Amino acid sequence: MQQTNCPTNGCLVNDGTASEDKGYSHQEPIGSRNDSGESHQQNGDGTSYTDTNGSATTLPHVKIKSRTERDIIKLIGQHLQGLGLSQTVEQLIKESGCRLDHPAATKFQTHVIEGDWVKAEDDLLELKSMLEHPQALLEIKFLLLEQKYLEFLDDNRVIDALYCLRNELTPLNHKINRVHELSRFIMCNPGDELRKLSGWDGKGLQSRQLLMEKLQAFLPPSVMLPPRRLRTLLCQAIELQKERCFYHNNINEKNYDNYSLLVDHTCKKTCPVKLLKFSLIMAMKFGFVVFQMMGPKLASGSKDSTVIIWDVDPDTLTLKHKHTFDGHSYGVSYISWSPDDNYIIACGPDDCSDLWVWNVQTGELRVKVSHSPEDSLTTCSWHKDGRKFVTGGLRGQFYQCDIDGAILDQWEGVRVQSLSYRKDGKTILAADTHHRIRGYNLEDVIDFNIIQEDHSIISFCTDETGRLALVNVSSQGVHLWDLEDRILVRKFQGVTQGYYTIHSCFGGVNQVYVASGSEDHKVYIWHIKRERPINVLTGHARTVNCVSWNSKYPQLLASASDDSTIRIWGPAKSGSQTSCSPDQSSLVLSSNNCFQDFF
Amino acid sequence: MGRIHLEHMGGERLFSCASCDTVLTNKKELASTRFTGATGRAYLFKKAVNLTYSEVQDRQMLTGRHKVRDVSCKNCDNKLGWIYEFATEEGQRYKEGQVILERALVIESDGFEENPPPLPEQ
Repeated sequence: MQQTNCPTNGCLVNDGTASEDKGYSHQEPIGSRNDSGESHQQNGDGTSYTDTNGSATTLPHVKIKSRTERDIIKLIGQHLQGLGLSQTVEQLIKESGCRLDHPAATKFQTHVIEGDWVKAEDDLLELKSMLEHPQALLEIKFLLLEQKYLEFLDDNRVIDALYCLRNELTPLNHKINRVHELSRFIMCNPGDELRKLSGWDGKGLQSRQLLMEKLQAFLPPSVMLPPRRLRTLLCQAIELQKERCFYHNNINEKNYDNYSLLVDHTCKKTCPVKLLKFSLIMAMKFGFVVFQMMGPKLASGSKDSTVIIWDVDPDTLTLKHKHTFDGHSYGVSYISWSPDDNYIIACGPDDCSDLWVWNVQTGELRVKVSHSPEDSLTTCSWHKDGRKFVTGGLRGQFYQCDIDGAILDQWEGVRVQSLSYRKDGKTILAADTHHRIRGYNLEDVIDFNIIQEDHSIISFCTDETGRLALVNVSSQGVHLWDLEDRILVRKFQGVTQGYYTIHSCFGGVNQVYVASGSEDHKVYIWHIKRERPINVLTGHARTVNCVSWNSKYPQLLASASDDSTIRIWGPAKSGSQTSCSPDQSSLVLSSNNCFQDFF
Repeated sequence: MGRIHLEHMGGERLFSCASCDTVLTNKKELASTRFTGATGRAYLFKKAVNLTYSEVQDRQMLTGRHKVRDVSCKNCDNKLGWIYEFATEEGQRYKEGQVILERALVIESDGFEENPPPLPEQ
């Protein structure tokens, strides 16, 4: 290695680092600094270090031996440099004796940023020996020439560009496809057309900095630090802290400015779903509530006779009545939105032999499905194509129907408690009275066991991936099963259930939360990794039959209860006031049995 | 071949497979003795363990149409009876999930009380 003899050796370095320079030929030396015996006093005047001829001779008086310490100084230096605090960086380098990058790399970087491609290529001769992979040199050269070529084009110097393409890029015999692609750009006008077609920023500092970042990837960190290394590390720290924060439920995460680096991140307990925002009293016992797939609409079913479609304002959290679907004389115990949100199916309790398919857009009944007065159809699940569904009940009906209710297939001898299509669209999961969830392929007539519980399964649902199932087990809490591995993952504790049909759901950003109603009048919320609830929402006065988490607004949760209220829960926001809106007079409610909770 | 994992329900009076003596259930689970199987008298149990189950079969019985699975001993594979999966007649629904073991294919023996009642307070 000849670095020590390089005339530009001292460009960003103090030259007490002769041994370190040598070290570059192997590995970065660890604590082998060669400034022993010399104890120069700090030169108060830092100007000598700006001398690119390396004439400065002052050695640091602080010995920094640990590799970690020196790395940290490098990170700080790089960060300060990025902020433009170059004088401070020079001082830092001078005082610590740690330089940021190898002088040859610094020189190289300067030339790249200046767009001096000839000199930059010359610099490569010097950097060549420090590269870890021989292939890296080729990659670097290619990237340099690519930029050079594009800049020629941008300057409308077509002849030069062509020369570069033919005599410099092509002979590298590297990334032939990219070379072909580049050759096409010759045909386009410089400026916007070129930029649009190539997805390149155009000649200038921005594209060169981008190029530099790409180039840095091929240089060992001891030669040149990866770009914005300190920031990268800090972002990793934030990511880890977020992962460890069980209350984390934010969507806009691209910007880290909201996070303080000064303390570890933890969301306040009020963060995910805490505050009761709105509640509405009606003369109805709500047995079921479910948000639509892709928006803020909510469908509720009451035990007397109606399905109501609500428009939920995600900002003010007000519920506006949109449709009422009457005629469910047995009551409504289950509702399912079609995948396109155009239809809902409403099922009744055990003694109800009908189900209704309502068009939510028009508010009209599409079809009332009724096959035999002896049937019991209490649950259903839409196929992902939205053209068919399965339904069933405890009297042993298990039908696959088209959207108008005509039976396509049926399976005999299963008392169905709860249903769900698997992702493949062929297998149907059915919970039965033997405490099992079994898979059924109605077309090929295949069935197989997936889950066996020891106690009665009340209801179940699956997550977005279709891999996890949430099972409400009578008097046994809420069980999380992995359907692929067929293993019980977790038992969520706290709920009381066994007498009424209680429904639970997945929710939150990335579906890391689980919620369930409970017979103790509470709503329980768990993080998917913890058995104990992270939040217990109080406010309902009777059994909470059902909960539903909005998938588009992952901070909204709805719950339905026998206390005749539906409640919308959201994160605690200071100063937000909500108001009850009994403005739809067609409702069964009058303003005096409508109230508002502020918890 | 691995060792077959067997359960034991405990109890004072045990019912076992007649051919290999694997314990299947106990007297507490006995629901009725007034059933008839292929070999004659059969018992209905609320629960039994150490069984393997056949595919579901549709079977017309004296009490109506049923869906049943034949049950065999998990240890020796001897056929022992059947389990009710589904009863078409509403009045027979109580049998769903319960197990018929034929008396000729099981033997009775004495077990012991595993959780003795607490001593009377003095």
